Amino acid sequence: MTTTERAQPSPREETVDVWNGRLRLRVKVAGQGAPLLYLHGSTGLAWDPFLSRLAEQYTVYAPEFPGTSAGEPDAAHVIDDLSDMVLVFEEASRSLGLSQPVVVGHDFGGMLAAELAAHFPALPGKLVLISPLGLWRDDLPVATLSAASQTELPGLLFHDPSGDVAQAALAFPEDPEAAVEAAAGMVWSLGSTGKYLWPIPDRGLRARLHRVAARTLIVWGREDRLAPAAYADEFAGLIRDSAVALIDDSGHLPQVEQFKQALTRIEEFLK
Amino acid sequence: MKVTLFEQAPYRFLPSDFEAHHDSVCSTPYSLTTEAGVYSSVVDYIDELMTGARAGFDGISLTEHGQSSYDLSPNPNLVASAVAYATETERLSTAIFPMGRSLGKTREPVRVAEEYAMVDVISGGRLIAGFPVGLSYDASINNGIPPIEVRGRFEENLELILRAWRDRDPFAWNGRYGQFPQVNLWPRPLQEQPPVWITGIGNPRTMQLTLERGFGFNYFGFAGAKLTGKRIFERFWELADQLGLERNPYRMGFLQTIAVSETDARAEKEYGAHAEYAYRKGLGAIPPEMLGLPGGVNIHGVKAMLKDPGDFGMYGTMRTAGFGELADAGVVIAGSPATVRDQLLEYCTTYGIGNLHAMLGFGSMPKDLVQKNIHLFATEVLPHLRTLWQDQGFAHHWWPKRLGGVPLPAAQEHAPSAAGRTQAS
Repeated sequence: MTTTERAQPSPREETVDVWNGRLRLRVKVAGQGAPLLYLHGSTGLAWDPFLSRLAEQYTVYAPEFPGTSAGEPDAAHVIDDLSDMVLVFEEASRSLGLSQPVVVGHDFGGMLAAELAAHFPALPGKLVLISPLGLWRDDLPVATLSAASQTELPGLLFHDPSGDVAQAALAFPEDPEAAVEAAAGMVWSLGSTGKYLWPIPDRGLRARLHRVAARTLIVWGREDRLAPAAYADEFAGLIRDSAVALIDDSGHLPQVEQFKQALTRIEEFLK
Repeated sequence: MKVTLFEQAPYRFLPSDFEAHHDSVCSTPYSLTTEAGVYSSVVDYIDELMTGARAGFDGISLTEHGQSSYDLSPNPNLVASAVAYATETERLSTAIFPMGRSLGKTREPVRVAEEYAMVDVISGGRLIAGFPVGLSYDASINNGIPPIEVRGRFEENLELILRAWRDRDPFAWNGRYGQFPQVNLWPRPLQEQPPVWITGIGNPRTMQLTLERGFGFNYFGFAGAKLTGKRIFERFWELADQLGLERNPYRMGFLQTIAVSETDARAEKEYGAHAEYAYRKGLGAIPPEMLGLPGGVNIHGVKAMLKDPGDFGMYGTMRTAGFGELADAGVVIAGSPATVRDQLLEYCTTYGIGNLHAMLGFGSMPKDLVQKNIHLFATEVLPHLRTLWQDQGFAHHWWPKRLGGVPLPAAQEHAPSAAGRTQAS
């Protein structure tokens, strides 16, 4: 990606057994320092410059959501309820030995991070929610990424879908076999996370957000066409100790489309 | 061979440029319709089904589609029960075959079991019960089921329905998707178990379930059976071989759009535009993402489809297809009685098909043309098909007993318990 300025340390992979051995989460780990738990969005985990930069100051733990790990699609069927899934991630955090980690979540992962913080208020040291899902207003419908056509999808994710950053992020491998793997993986990630988002991405988070105790930064692209930026204030109004950072010229993935701007705001908050 | 009359209930008066501006499902503006148009599209459809029953078809078959302009039939059992009663009063021995209630979408499986039981009672035991998994858009957009749960719901709901028909005593059902403290149907079907048919589009997993459980398998040739049929039917029979099961043609149902006229040229002239209407404004105008929402097909299936989309036939170009292309792909078999008869006989013989569902009304066809098609088919084609597979030693286990079927012993129907058993994947 064009925003890469330094060599990215490649993360190592750990596994953590949870749910009485019925689930094995794969976790990408990199960096050193205080723990940071990163929860990816509905299209799956991509280790990107944003995570690499966070890994310069933190030990970043990025678990793959059940079902999204290569070769283990059936893990998507182990858990049915969102509340059980929240318990799974609390167990994972404990098993990894994370003590009051910074919890960062994007999109579906932002919703999961907010749920985790609402169920276990003492778990996160700080909380960063990047365009999180989980709230619904009838006058601000949230688009369904997994029902979008091939032509609609780029515009739902990016402010400038024809820009270099978007094009690089949306590109599939040239090798046909690898392209099939990548496309199928993305489809199954949407299916696996869709279990907790479909048909309306509202599982009652609004009623629980008052329990979040951690200092929280809500990051949103001003031009987000998937989940409108007005949701930033909705989250802020429900989370007691929170601030909003709106990112200019950005769609649903500010940490990708406006990497520097988003990173600066997040680093300031985490200082 | 058994031959049923099949029709959907398309809205027949869409504007000529419909497919350039609208999809045929989910978002289709209802403002395109008129009261008179809706009324005649539905009532003519039922009239035509009755024409078929009177013309001597072995069955009347129909499908379920919600929020779609190409099949105004959100619950096929409503029309099925009307036809069941009308045929009973006219003493017409025709099977009633909803193909049928989609179990991947339903949150009311007990109601489905009850509806089918009612249709079986009203028809005096002539019901054939179809259970499709369901189309992705219908299950997930129209009915809100997470795509990844559709398959698991289908499997669980099917077990519940079969048990609700079979068990003499009330039972509690603690399922993964549904919980019912007491299941005790009134009425139950008259048949000990109505014949069960599953509709598939080529997924080997669906075929395997169908074979292992002793159900019938329906394949719809909408995508062009000249392109897809060989793949699908051979896949099915190879699976049957692997499972050590007889290649009994009565296991297999095949749905084909057919247009019969006095000559080949006249068939094209009379039906060509209606066939284009049917497929451009119907299946061809369903956006691909609505047929395969992420999670609905497991990752192995997604990879298989990306590598080899052959099971989709000519679906990808259907929205602009002309009659010639539809005919070349086998989406429509059209011509004189002899032309149609020869093609169907060759096809059914080659692929071991023992049940043909003849789609004789489609698209914008007016009622008199549908009735012409039905009469010509019934008098000039049907008699030649009926004798296929006769005296070859095959028993039809997938047809109502009252209509000459030989149901499989109920013991073959294995009765698993609900809790924790159904594992979607």
